[in-house]
This record gives sequence, C-alpha cells and structure tokens, in this order.
Amino acid sequence: MNRYEMIYIIDTGLEEAARQELVEKVSSLITANGGEIEKVDETWGKRRLAYAIDYKTEGWYVLVTFKAPAELPRELERNLQINENVLRYLVVKLVEKRSSVKPRPVQAAPAEEAAPAVEQAPVEEAAPAEEAAPAEDAE
Amino acid sequence: MSEDRGERRPRPRGVRRPRRKVCAFCVDKIEYIDYKDINRLRRFTNERGKILPRRMSGNCAKHQRQLSEAIKRARAIALMPYTAD
Repeated sequence: MNRYEMIYIIDTGLEEAARQELVEKVSSLITANGGEIEKVDETWGKRRLAYAIDYKTEGWYVLVTFKAPAELPRELERNLQINENVLRYLVVKLVEKRSSVKPRPVQAAPAEEAAPAVEQAPVEEAAPAEEAAPAEDAE
Repeated sequence: MSEDRGERRPRPRGVRRPRRKVCAFCVDKIEYIDYKDINRLRRFTNERGKILPRRMSGNCAKHQRQLSEAIKRARAIALMPYTAD
C-alpha cells in the first residue's frame, strides 16, 4: 500500500448534484479496487484555470488523498480519462517529508524539528528512494 | 607595456562579484516542495511563466530539481501557466 494524492478538475458546466455524484463515483472506484480514502477535499472548489482547457476557463478542483496498492493509480487514470466531465487529473505518490505547505499528515513539522540527530538519520537515508519514486508516477 | 599594465590593474577591483545567493528552500528547511503551493512556486518563474535558472534563483541543485518538478506538475493541472503573454 502506498499513499497517493490525486487532483482532478471537473467541468463547472456540471450542476451540483451531478458533480457530487461524480466525486462519489471516483471515491467508490478507489475503495472498490482495494484503496482506502483518507480525505476528499473540495475546499478549492471553483477556480480559474491558468490556461483554457477545451475553451473552459474555470474548473472545479477536487483533491483526494488515499492509500492504495500500486496497481490502482493506473486503473484510476484510465477511468478519469474516459470521463468527459473530468478536464484534468494528476495522481502523485506522497512523500513523507516536511512540505512547503503546512498540512502534511503522518509527520507533524514541529515534532520533526524537535527530533534529535539520531532521529534524523533514518529520514535522510530513506530520502533518495522516495525522491525518485514520485517522478516516475507523475509523468 | 607600462600602459597595458596600467589599464589592466583596475579590472580586478572593478569586477563586482554579486553576493552568492542562498537557497530559499534550504533556509526554510523545506524537504518537499509541494506543487499546490503556487504562491511560492510563482516566485521562481518569470512573468512569462518560465522557470528561473539556478543562477538567478540561487537554489541548491537538490531543491532546484524538486522545484522544477513541482512547477511542471502545477502546470499539468492548470495551476500555473505554461506560457503567459
């Protein structure tokens, strides 16, 4: 099981009920394939796109964090590709490191900072392997 | 000869060596550059949306690599522009 983070953009032309249904469908797709949803975050909601996608300038952003076996993202991406209401998606493997934005679960930033040198050594050892992994997933 | 030397001498003094910049991510002790953190990422692109080279951003190699990866991810999901005019 790996931890992943997925962002997908739903067409804002879709009305609220249909959108919720789609979010629900994606979530159930994860759980049906042996995944485990940690969080579905729609706080970004409607957002201006940095560039037009299919002549649309806005999109509804949904952020999902989940635990899943390694085969799931491929299947998930296949399904999102098919759905025409999903403008874009991105599945990224999560790296357990202190992030530039605050909420990164598992390890809280202050706890890590307080940790002595003994604690820090294994973190650094694990780093190269983890760093290499997300790059492969992203493209 | 003597003239040449006279001209040469002021050059080493005249060359202004800009202070070596330090990596902003090392300073902030960031280990993972999140592609969702677009306000931070935007500081490392020019007004056309291009990623600034290391000699301008002053980032260390490790963080520059992570940064470019993060910016490219952000572009893929339309959080940042590929180009802007």
